[in-house]
Amino acid sequence: MKGLIENRFGLLALVLVALAALYGVAYASRPAPVVHKPPQAVRAPVGSVTTVCPAPGGGRVSVVTPPGAQTPGAATVAEIQPPTAKPEAQPTAKPEAQPTGKPDGKKDDKSGKAGGSEVQSDGTTGKPVATVRQPGVLWQQEITPGSEPLAIAATGSMAAGLETAQTAREKSGSQRGLAAVRCVEPGANAWFVGPGPAAADVTLYVTNVDAAPADVEIMIYSGEGPVLSDRGNGLVLQPGQHRAVKLRDLAPSPLVMAVEVSTASGRVAAAVKAVLGEGKGVDWLPIAAEPSTRVVVPGIPGTAGLRELYVTAPGEQDTVVQVKAVLKDGSYALKNKESVDVPAGSTATLDMSTGIGGQPAALVLSSDVPIVAGLKITGTGTSQDVAFTAGAPSIDLGSVVADARASRKQTSGLVLSAPFAAATVKIQFLPKEGPVPAPFDVQIPAARTKEITLKAPPGSKAGFSVAVQPQPGSGPVYGGRVLTEATPQGLFITTQPLALARTWALVPPTKDSPSAVLP
Amino acid sequence: MHSVTAIVVAHDGARWLKETLTAVLRQTRPLDRVVGVDNGSRDGSGQLLTEAFGPSNVLSMSRSTGFGEAVHEVLRRLPRAQVQEPGNEWIWLLHDDCAPDTQALQALLWAADQDPKAAILGPKLRDWLDRRVLLEMGVTVSRSGRRDTGLEPREYDQGQHDEIRDVLSVSTAGMLIRREVWEALSGLDPELPLFRDDLDLCWRARAAGHRVLNVPDAVAWHAEASARRRRRISASNEHPRRLDRHNGLLVIMANLPFWALLRSIARNISGSLVRTVLFLLAKQPANALDEVAALSSILVHPRRLRRFRKARKQDRKQGYAAVERLLTPPGAAFRRLADMVQSFVAGEGPVDSAGRHHAATGEPSQEDGDELLTDSGGFQWVFGNPGVALCLILVAITVAAERSLLFGGLLGGGALVPVTGGASDLWRLYTENHHTAGLGSDTWAPPYVAVLAALSTVFFGKTWLAVSVLLLGCVPLAGLSAYAATKTMIAYTPARVWLAATYALLPVATGVIASGRLGTAIVFVLLPVYAALATRVVAGSRRAAWGFGLLLAVGTAFAPLVYVLVAILGGLAAVSFGGVRRGVGLSLAIGLGTPLVLLFPWLIEIVRDPGRIVLEAGLRDAALADPRLGADSLLMLSPGGPGVPPVWVTAGLVAVALAALLLRRHQMVVAIGWGAMLFGVLVATVVSRLSVGDVPAWPGVPLALAATGLLVAAAHPAHRIAEFRAAGGLRRAGALLIVVVAFATPLAAASMWIKSGAEDPLRRGVRDPMPVLAAVGSAKGQSTLLMRPKEGRLTYTLLSGGAPLIGESDLKPAESARLGLESAVAGLASGRGGTYAATLASYGVQFVTVPGPVDPALQRALDSDPALVRVSLSETTGLWRMATPAPVPPPPAGADSRHRIWLWAQAALVGLVLILASPGARTDDLDEQYADAPAEEPRGRRRAREDRVPA
Repeated sequence: MKGLIENRFGLLALVLVALAALYGVAYASRPAPVVHKPPQAVRAPVGSVTTVCPAPGGGRVSVVTPPGAQTPGAATVAEIQPPTAKPEAQPTAKPEAQPTGKPDGKKDDKSGKAGGSEVQSDGTTGKPVATVRQPGVLWQQEITPGSEPLAIAATGSMAAGLETAQTAREKSGSQRGLAAVRCVEPGANAWFVGPGPAAADVTLYVTNVDAAPADVEIMIYSGEGPVLSDRGNGLVLQPGQHRAVKLRDLAPSPLVMAVEVSTASGRVAAAVKAVLGEGKGVDWLPIAAEPSTRVVVPGIPGTAGLRELYVTAPGEQDTVVQVKAVLKDGSYALKNKESVDVPAGSTATLDMSTGIGGQPAALVLSSDVPIVAGLKITGTGTSQDVAFTAGAPSIDLGSVVADARASRKQTSGLVLSAPFAAATVKIQFLPKEGPVPAPFDVQIPAARTKEITLKAPPGSKAGFSVAVQPQPGSGPVYGGRVLTEATPQGLFITTQPLALARTWALVPPTKDSPSAVLP
Repeated sequence: MHSVTAIVVAHDGARWLKETLTAVLRQTRPLDRVVGVDNGSRDGSGQLLTEAFGPSNVLSMSRSTGFGEAVHEVLRRLPRAQVQEPGNEWIWLLHDDCAPDTQALQALLWAADQDPKAAILGPKLRDWLDRRVLLEMGVTVSRSGRRDTGLEPREYDQGQHDEIRDVLSVSTAGMLIRREVWEALSGLDPELPLFRDDLDLCWRARAAGHRVLNVPDAVAWHAEASARRRRRISASNEHPRRLDRHNGLLVIMANLPFWALLRSIARNISGSLVRTVLFLLAKQPANALDEVAALSSILVHPRRLRRFRKARKQDRKQGYAAVERLLTPPGAAFRRLADMVQSFVAGEGPVDSAGRHHAATGEPSQEDGDELLTDSGGFQWVFGNPGVALCLILVAITVAAERSLLFGGLLGGGALVPVTGGASDLWRLYTENHHTAGLGSDTWAPPYVAVLAALSTVFFGKTWLAVSVLLLGCVPLAGLSAYAATKTMIAYTPARVWLAATYALLPVATGVIASGRLGTAIVFVLLPVYAALATRVVAGSRRAAWGFGLLLAVGTAFAPLVYVLVAILGGLAAVSFGGVRRGVGLSLAIGLGTPLVLLFPWLIEIVRDPGRIVLEAGLRDAALADPRLGADSLLMLSPGGPGVPPVWVTAGLVAVALAALLLRRHQMVVAIGWGAMLFGVLVATVVSRLSVGDVPAWPGVPLALAATGLLVAAAHPAHRIAEFRAAGGLRRAGALLIVVVAFATPLAAASMWIKSGAEDPLRRGVRDPMPVLAAVGSAKGQSTLLMRPKEGRLTYTLLSGGAPLIGESDLKPAESARLGLESAVAGLASGRGGTYAATLASYGVQFVTVPGPVDPALQRALDSDPALVRVSLSETTGLWRMATPAPVPPPPAGADSRHRIWLWAQAALVGLVLILASPGARTDDLDEQYADAPAEEPRGRRRAREDRVPA
């Protein structure tokens, strides 16, 4: 030991040994690389939903929620009225009474109770028409003509997947035909693509059911480009207020158009009805999917008639949109209809009648820039009816059709497409009365479209609803509902793309982190 | 004819007594009678007296007998001498440590003959050891009881004062007094056994119309043994300093006439307070205590004062005129105060205690070298100093590397929140007892907030400036501190320059800047200072220990890990040095204990949550540290994370330090340096494997310590390079190689740093997270919820009134509120509807903001909530407002007095430590000299500074 200390190299040797030991410790204790798995979002049932049926008078309103949660819940159907007092001054919500300080806010039992106060908090509804309390059972009612817009406010178990629709059927006049629309949730943004005011009588219904005023802006993209109005296309809706705006007043000339209804503040429930004129049909334009570089337009029925595709590129760049049809036998671009040129800020049309007429289909559009798309379906007969479908999201979390009918004259069907990967969907009938039949599965091969005719479950002639639920492992599924009625003068038809049911919400993993102030 | 009786009172004074007795017996004017009194000596003084004076002339008394009492006892037994005139019987009082010149008595008697009214005469007193130094030639006193000799400190006797003068009093050492007068005045007051009894007697004599004379022709040498604590005082248990002060005050108050007394009381109370404060400032708490105790002991015993006054009633008023003109003039106090302040500012002067005749400026001491405060001044110093040159070079490198960080908007990123707010905001954050930030919190604000607030105050109240200087200027500051701190450790300047440059450009430094770690930046700058102070702490320096403790508290507040490291090293040092030098243990205890006391309530929170020890001030982000730090990185002092150069950059440093191990000389320092290095790397390895929550710890602090050790090991023997170069040949080539390898490290580090830039994730121009509309629209108490999807999670935080301040991220809200908010945020972001928005509003949330680009799903979810109204949505930010205004949360319950008391206590403690740590007057450790210190003390030792008192 003494020799080691006195040796010139003794200390060096000691240090080197120590360094080697440290290296060994550090090397051995180095943890294995961990694959950082981001935490997954948790599914939670939706706890509160409000929808607005824009003009239910003279039609039938359907309200349904798929069965599931056992917790209490209610859906109140009421006419919208402007509040008597100023909404700001109303003692509406009492937030201090409900600081739900418990950590398990993701469970739906609380939202069931707490959501109950939501209806009152709006302060914009009055004159309740009905209260629906039982999930899984369809509620339908004919609404007297001249009714105000209806707000359906659901909470608790009634909110998870609430689907509402209004369907009108007129035998004559300019309104002749089947006209159906999903009652819409108020939002900040809505797109509609369809014929323009020069080709049809187009009316925009905007409703504000919230407690705050909504500052609405309307933007129209015609075939020649965006329509700039010198009068300004904005309007302010006070709480409880609703307006029907004739788009002809804003832009008289477009033959085709896309309408963007957006709010600078507040929310608005928007719907557009197109009346093509006597003998030409009538229907509502469904809300089209937000601008995206890939749009799927599903739910094109297998009936005969014209098919006209509308594509809008709202950006500032011209684009060429590739069009692919997903049919019963496969997915391919149609001859001479491979693509459509869309100038920036304008709407282009493409007649698809010869390609997809007479067969159930979906169209897959892709482009370099975000686009919005819709499709006009014309029925057959001497006196035609029209129907519209539009770009829609996939129904990953399921979808519900509120109003399906199967009677001697009326038939309804689902057109389901799996453009990218094979899928299996479970279909569940929710009858208005009578026993609930067992659900059944439908398989859709990849890149195929399948049309399913809905047969009324026994004992439920009056009407029924359908819940569509993609099974785990399925690819994205797009679909639409078709409702037809054969009349001597021609086929009444209405379609609507399947919307993503508001059954589940994804609760993101959250983290209280002051680092959020930094990008 | 005169008859003179000499009375020698001895008390443990054998050391001086022999000489004294010889001097007494050799007087040219022989004494008529000699009497010796032995106050219970234990060192054979009685024996000496007996041998000199004969047993019949020696009186033995108890140990506790005072001087006056002994003289009284002698005179009680001593029959009157047979003289013609009764006034011509004289008593000559002598101390055992006072040796009169052979002609002293003759001179005194001659003077007495000149003036029949002279009743008391005293010789010129000179120092026993330094025989030409004047001690006193008559003493006067100020109205505040301060002795005044009228002499300069250590004034040499060159005959400049040689004339017989009327004085107020003379010392009892060598006092010649008429027995008649003594008896008329009843002599020395036995109630004043020690100190100021002479003043009292002479005052009374003066008041009675007698003259008190100082006779310079009579010389006596006096050792001042009691006052200088050369011997233990047995007559009183009290500390001599306090006793002296007490007696001084008592004598003044007892002898002044009534009106003068009132003035004197007022003057003494205020004067004592001032002096106490000054003593405290001068870090002489014992003096301060004595000052207060002396005054209060007089004031709380009014009866004793009355008794004293009653005994002196006669002649007091009439004789005062004779006394008054001999008192120190009143203006002298102010002059003295001015002198004192001046000398204190100069860093040298002692604060004068209650009057002494040696101001006794200690020899300038090298012990407390102020290398960090060196101020040799001037232009030449600035430009000739290698340290300045080094600093300028480092500043240039820093500016080049941080080119994108210097100007622009807010500085933030990494661990640093965008720096907003000013010093007042930080002070408010630190002092408020309920933090309204975020969800509200009642925990202690981290103490580094106070440090930053103080620094911001220095930087004109601008926090951004303080943070910029500390964080961005971390490299030049660290270089400067390393250069200055090694002054005493490393004599070879080129080695110091190399050390400082290498230290400043370590991977830790660049990593600190890139990741915005303000905490480690400060510790990194302080670490060399710790090392420099630690060398003095282990040498036993008390002042360095206080300074060390204070700076360690600062470092600990920013990065608690540094305390653990230092405590372990301190423990090792205590084991190694504790037995070697005295006082090391106490100094170490001060150094390590001060942070614990200063940071007390906050430290409890740290101890409760031990994971925070390895974290530091600022934001915690998993991306800022490498949880899989490689072994090579650790050994090469690279802490991982952003801004770190390649591993090989520090290879040169390690190589040079290894080479230093081969030198035989200085192996101790090299071994200690390598020990610190190995210890630091070991701790760094452990730390880098830890993670708190999901945040891996960053081993910057231990690696900086390791680097410090390594640099000292490498630089300390570097002066041998010069020897090698002089040796020529192979050795010269070797020296050149070592220099090249050594300088490769700082050069490579600097060039890599400049090349890659210092930013990311720290950057300039961070967007203020608080939208202006929200800031304008929220009432006081309302907050804004900020949500930002990050790495698959939705991170969120509450902003109240603006961007968060530095330190607010370390506040802990109540757990229930935190969980409640978390579920509400998750629910709101899911868009499932419900009362989540109402819940948020109940927490005071008025706005919800999402920095752009806003995730569409999140935007939809927020848009779908009827309780939220969208205010704006753009590329950069989305903002939603509660439809109904959020209620302002109730103000917190009444102020917590405990919090307030602690804040005041903390401020007081910091002030105290600052005083103790700053250069100032030093008290001697007098206790060491108490009992049997050698008479021949080395001259270099400072003199005792106690008032000179007769013994």
